Amino acid sequence: MDIARYLRLSALCVAGLLASSAAEAATQGSLGATSTGSISIGASVPNRVQISGLSDVSFANQDPATAALSAQNICVWSNTSTKGYNVTASGSGTANAFTLANGALTTPYTVEWAQTSGQSSGTALATGTALTGQKSTATNALCASGPSSTASLIVKMSTASLQTMQAATTYTGTLTLVVAPE
Amino acid sequence: MLAVKAFATAVLKDSGIGSRRSALSRRVAPGLARLLAGALLVVGLLGETPSNAASNKVRITNLSDVGFGTIANLNVDAVQSQSVCVYADTNTSGYNVTGIGAGPGGAFQLSSGAASMSFDVLWSSSPGQNSGTQLTPNVPLTGQVSSGTHQTCSNGPATTASLVVVLRSIALSSAAAGTYNGTLTLVIGPE
Repeated sequence: MDIARYLRLSALCVAGLLASSAAEAATQGSLGATSTGSISIGASVPNRVQISGLSDVSFANQDPATAALSAQNICVWSNTSTKGYNVTASGSGTANAFTLANGALTTPYTVEWAQTSGQSSGTALATGTALTGQKSTATNALCASGPSSTASLIVKMSTASLQTMQAATTYTGTLTLVVAPE
Repeated sequence: MLAVKAFATAVLKDSGIGSRRSALSRRVAPGLARLLAGALLVVGLLGETPSNAASNKVRITNLSDVGFGTIANLNVDAVQSQSVCVYADTNTSGYNVTGIGAGPGGAFQLSSGAASMSFDVLWSSSPGQNSGTQLTPNVPLTGQVSSGTHQTCSNGPATTASLVVVLRSIALSSAAAGTYNGTLTLVIGPE
């Protein structure tokens, strides 16, 4: 038997023994006054995040001379070892711009994010660009236990935007937030 | 049971060998006959026949490791069940089962480094079940009965009980990402 063939056979034998030992980890009981058996249990939990607690935003009868602000506390949960995540926002305007519209009429708004709840200002988001390095304090995926909210979403309309809007006209739009684990 | 023993003793005493047997037999024969007759009468009255006593021994086999793999949906319970063989050589084929985990105090817990995740253990005295009675670590679940007729179920029913391991969604959604491992020890006792 040449050396290469010997090595191949040896490798196959070792591999076979390893595979066998992994498959036979469970121990069976023997006949006796008591009998004891055991098994191993394994599970893998992948990286996951969840955003919840979001509410619609409405600015009704807004005075154009006063900037509009809506801040809400939301729940972001991350199960990574650091509880880290990033958030990406996109609007419903042209090229996912943060704009509200009524037919051909449009007006912009801004979006800010804070990784703690109860904030009325935060880091400005650019559409389609992830804000990285955020951390969650959530201990439950829906914040049903532990902190009831972990982050702040702030939507603002400047007086300049408001003053471009046509009176007695309703502008609508959609803001989409995507959270990803880090 | 007393009647059976008397019967056996009488037979043994009647199986001696040698010349002394005849004389001895002549002297003890009437007594033996009376003893034998009495023993048979008692057996008949009790409605019992001589049989082997139960050994009160038990055995658990056919256990398999449990692998959940990567759990994609953390919002639903992950369940793995298996049918196992429990044999109980007792008068009633009765047994109890005790589960012991690898967590503190025998808790049913998996670990991934410093992180841990609890799991539930359910037991049914019938095979092929996906649910059963929840076990408490270190506490015997009593009153189980086996249908096994062979200590490894190599004949008769191939399996006699169900072991169900459950990862609850509340534990999954609270666990840090990672690979979790643990052991579960099952101790069977006769009843």
